[in-house]
Amino acid sequence: MNPPKQRRASLLLKPLLALPALLLSGCTMAGIRLFHPAGLVAGAEMHYTLILVITMLIIIVPTLLMTIIFPLRYHHSRNAKYTPDWHFSLTIELLAWGIPFAIVAFLCYLTIQGVYAVNPWAPGILANAPGARQPPINVEVIATDWQWVFVYPDQGIATIDDLVVPSGRVVHLQMTATSNMNGFYIPQVAPMVDAMPAMESRDAFELDQPATYTGFSTDFSGAGFSWMQFSTRVVPQAEFDSWVASVQANPNQLTYAAFQKIAQPTVNAGAKPAYFSAPDKNLFGEVMTAAMQGVVYPVPDSFTKRVSDNSAQGAQAPASPQ
Amino acid sequence: MATSNPTGAALALWNPGADEHDPISARTYGFWLYLIGDALLFCSLFASYAVLDNPVNAAGGPLTAQVINTPHGLWQTFIILASVLAYSLGTVSLKNGNAAGVQLGILAALLLGGAFLYISGTDLWALAAQGNGPTRSAFLSVFFTLLLTHGLHMLFGILWMLVMLVQVGVLGFTKDVVGRLLNLRLFWQFQATMWVCVYFYVYLLGGAR
Amino acid sequence: MQVAVDGPWSPLLGRLSLAAIPYDNPILVSTFAVVALLGIVIIGAALYFGKLGYIWREWLTTVDHKKIGVMYIILGLVMLFRGFMDGAMMRTQQLLADGPNSPGYLGAQHGYLPPYHFDQIYTAHGTLMLFFAATPLVAGLGNLIVPLQIGARDMAFPYLNATSLWLTVSGAALCMISLFVGEFSNATWVGLMPFSEMPTNPGVGVDYWMWAFQLSSIGTTFNAINMIATIVKMRAPGMRWFRMPVYCWSSLTTNIIGLSIFPVVTVALTMLGIDRYFGTHFFTAGYGGNFMLYVNLFWIWGHPEVYFLMLPAFGLFSEIVPTFSNKALFGYPTMVAASFSIGGIGWVVWAHHFFTMGMGPELNGYFSAATMLVGIPTGVKAFNWLFTMYRGRITYATPMLWALIGLVLLLIGGLTGMMLSASVFDYTVHNSLFVVAHFHCMVLVIGAALFAGVTYWWPKVFGFKLDERNGQMYFWTFVLASLLVFVPLFYLGFAGVTRRLDYIYNPALKPLLWVSEGGIGMYFVSLFYFGKMLYVSLRDQIPAQADAWGTGRTLEWLTHTPVPFYNFAVTPQINARDELAWRKAKGVEGVQPTHYVPIHLPSNTAVPVIIGALATVFGFAMTWRIWWLSIASLLAIIIVVIIRSFDKNEGYVLSAEDIAKMENQVALASIIAEQPKRPALAQVEAH
Ligand code: HEM
Ligand SMILES: [Cu+2]
Repeated sequence: MNPPKQRRASLLLKPLLALPALLLSGCTMAGIRLFHPAGLVAGAEMHYTLILVITMLIIIVPTLLMTIIFPLRYHHSRNAKYTPDWHFSLTIELLAWGIPFAIVAFLCYLTIQGVYAVNPWAPGILANAPGARQPPINVEVIATDWQWVFVYPDQGIATIDDLVVPSGRVVHLQMTATSNMNGFYIPQVAPMVDAMPAMESRDAFELDQPATYTGFSTDFSGAGFSWMQFSTRVVPQAEFDSWVASVQANPNQLTYAAFQKIAQPTVNAGAKPAYFSAPDKNLFGEVMTAAMQGVVYPVPDSFTKRVSDNSAQGAQAPASPQ
Repeated sequence: MATSNPTGAALALWNPGADEHDPISARTYGFWLYLIGDALLFCSLFASYAVLDNPVNAAGGPLTAQVINTPHGLWQTFIILASVLAYSLGTVSLKNGNAAGVQLGILAALLLGGAFLYISGTDLWALAAQGNGPTRSAFLSVFFTLLLTHGLHMLFGILWMLVMLVQVGVLGFTKDVVGRLLNLRLFWQFQATMWVCVYFYVYLLGGAR
Repeated sequence: MQVAVDGPWSPLLGRLSLAAIPYDNPILVSTFAVVALLGIVIIGAALYFGKLGYIWREWLTTVDHKKIGVMYIILGLVMLFRGFMDGAMMRTQQLLADGPNSPGYLGAQHGYLPPYHFDQIYTAHGTLMLFFAATPLVAGLGNLIVPLQIGARDMAFPYLNATSLWLTVSGAALCMISLFVGEFSNATWVGLMPFSEMPTNPGVGVDYWMWAFQLSSIGTTFNAINMIATIVKMRAPGMRWFRMPVYCWSSLTTNIIGLSIFPVVTVALTMLGIDRYFGTHFFTAGYGGNFMLYVNLFWIWGHPEVYFLMLPAFGLFSEIVPTFSNKALFGYPTMVAASFSIGGIGWVVWAHHFFTMGMGPELNGYFSAATMLVGIPTGVKAFNWLFTMYRGRITYATPMLWALIGLVLLLIGGLTGMMLSASVFDYTVHNSLFVVAHFHCMVLVIGAALFAGVTYWWPKVFGFKLDERNGQMYFWTFVLASLLVFVPLFYLGFAGVTRRLDYIYNPALKPLLWVSEGGIGMYFVSLFYFGKMLYVSLRDQIPAQADAWGTGRTLEWLTHTPVPFYNFAVTPQINARDELAWRKAKGVEGVQPTHYVPIHLPSNTAVPVIIGALATVFGFAMTWRIWWLSIASLLAIIIVVIIRSFDKNEGYVLSAEDIAKMENQVALASIIAEQPKRPALAQVEAH
């Protein structure tokens, strides 16, 4: 992929797409997260999307114009040329099938290329990334109802709702969930991938600039779903190392027993983080095995009361984690 | 009503009496369509079976080879084919307008169907009694569901046969009754075909795995 | 074998108890008051005017395809309204619950709906809109028009037809009951797994959803069988395949799709049901269950389902655009081919609904490419409509306006759909408001087509047109409202806002949410014009011609307006593709048959509506686990069917004199008019 070219394409399209939004709302462009991809994977996603959209517009725009012009031009009041019995033309039919066919063929080719480039299991685009020369950072992600537990097996630490990674390193995520299906998603950064009970899925990304992003759950999982956000902090390697050391010194330990308490359905309004040292080396495996054996964490009645019930939400107003 | 247009008479515009369609043909066609739907129902079940017939989905429990009774399956195949044959012989009597013959054929088909269900039922019951019931694992869930879905269809067919036994006696061969008899034959043959699929896929292929 | 349930259970009432009545929820109580009041008013009015008997004899027990069609459409419109109210509530909640400092009302922390209530509302919204608004409207128009367009007396199986209707109604009734007794599912219209399973969803909500869905899909399967058989077997003499109107072609395609997919979802729901009732493990996470199996089965049904709804819309455009362009449809053969391609492709693309579930790049690549293929025939259709307008004589009657906006929305929805089908892009917006905006664009295409169709054929059925002035006001306000509601959703999708949120984290999005809410307000304005349109048209009742729009081309415009209950006094002989246009060209469109022959028609029967009522009881009893009632109602259905099968009634005969009388005085034969009782024939032995 060629970054300057990509920028040129986005120069064209961004204002086009953004104009009505600005008019409508005065919203700042910064709010439109997807127009600001970060890192190679998200960059590739945006790159392919732009080419795809522009290609599609080649056919959509003329059709849209015809849809507007024909009804005006051939309105009965205008007495334009009228051929009531003209109802077939091989040339037009060939074009009507042929042009979309050619365009779709190109789109298919491009899409398949793109799928390999951003494949969350092993993104092609990261193969030659600057960070690819170093060993990846491994993070195990466990979605509970309704928090995100991030386990760093190599560092022997774990966090809740706070994903911290060093810049310039490829991050490999391995995901599962306790009882329900969730979607792991960091809008400008990583492809959306489902985290599922008794299953393992993966995602990967690399960011070169320190920054902070917000991640979400995208697959509905119950009453606390709307509050399932987490912060994603990209920090320089040195800062990451000292952060790891400080968490390693944390007396709170994430044993499986401690995890079972955390995994009870909880609304973590405001995504308040928590940190643990020395997680169980095989916590991820234990969670998977438990799910396979039918362990679920049932949602207490207070969350599913029919009528308005305050305890269904965290006592505190959730803060926007951005 | 007179027409002012002289060409009107020459053109064929109306077709009095053309709306009497053959009711039995439409009815049989509709029943074929239903059978397509039923076939898709079995397709989905077979697809689910294929997905769940897997050590992971057995959750430590038995797989196909440990839960089937192949000799019984073979007997069941013979019985259900005999039942179809009996019904078909009954429909030969239908051509001659022989009510007793039709009833005899149906009765034989019905009893054979009952025997089939008896074997199925006892086998599944025994399996469940060993602690390998449908709640044991996802594989056993789909195993029981596939067999019981077929069994329910058979049971429905038997109920239908009972009704037809009475109707042939009470109503005689009216258009409706004849239409139903023909559709019931389709239904019964279809269930036999589905059983052959079950036998082939579950008993032979699954047993060989 | 029965699964243990949370909370009390008694043999007599199952899980049902007084606690199931949400009398402490002001929203539900006031809704109940309104619904009850409406019910009392309707029944009271029927009693007051002495129409109860009429309604029972002429409508509830009818087997006439037109009345069934009309009842389907009434059901669809009522449910459309309820679905819309759900939508309005959801948008208002999101507007109010935006940001950590947003206020809470009615006991909710943010906004005015606690999560559990909000979740039920959006599940109900999706379920109602798809199964009880869009599907009945599509089925209703199909029922109304297809037999007329092919010159048939009725559907192939009139009795089955009524049964389909009443099964659909029973599903809708279950949804309505769930408002006031217990709760509805919170697991979204797609039924998330394993979230819908007993351990994570122990209430009765999922059961309500499951049975409502199950009953209506059985009804739809029956309807599909009926439509296919009608089109294949009941065409008037001379109507060869390639003389059939394109709307009939699209009905045929759509019902082939319907017949092939509904059994799949029946299986998926049944498996969920036995999981929930008997504790099996099809879709649980543990014990070897495979919830991905459900997701696959669901979308094997679900994607073709969207085309099941879309193809009739395409068919409607193909009728309306030629009529109001006063020109033959362009490219008839490729139109038919395109319908079949769309249907065919629709079967093999289902996995684009879960690109993020971890299929490898091979599968994602295949499903992306396959999905994109559907753009080709869809494009072909758009071009053919455009070239139908090209060198035509266009009038902007309301149906044409709806068709035109439908075309524009189709282009936007198609563009965004094609974007979504590229899994590269889908990784960034799946389950976001962008997807919501995409499919609402598409659903609005269907909505536009249905409004177009209802306006277009209204005069044929009732004998007078809908008021054009208010109809156009309704059109413009509706279009404006739709733009206001859904354009912001595209942007919110790009802003990374996911769907199904009852609380939105970012207060900076408020302006966009306000625009969307403004659209909801606009919808209320359009609702006013809809009501005014109905009121003015019913008040004035300006009689319409047989060919109500003056430029009709197909067979249904040949018979009287309003259409007699026997459709055509004498079956027409078909000579050309657009039969009426052909007759006009020959100058014989006014030529009436000179003599009549008796017509054989089916008698009305109460069996379908009884089956529907029993099915509602069955669904309710199963939901609440009242086993004795479930078994009793199921047995009752079987017994009713058996008893009816002993009925010798062969229908009745309309004599030639009767027909002549009604042909001279068409109002006597309209579907509104009450018919005298005509003696039934008894079936005799053929031998
Ligand atoms: C050009 C044709 C179309 C294409 C390429 C297309 C593509 C897609 C794709 C890829 C998705 C999945 C998006 C996601 O969940 O991430 C989707 C969702 C959806 N589409 Fe379309 N679509 C098309 C036409 C339609 C039509 C005609 C309808 C409706 C009548 C429709 C209704 C829907 C619905 C309801 C969903 C969301 C389902 C859900 O998750 O709740 N689409 N479409
Ligand atoms: Cu789809």
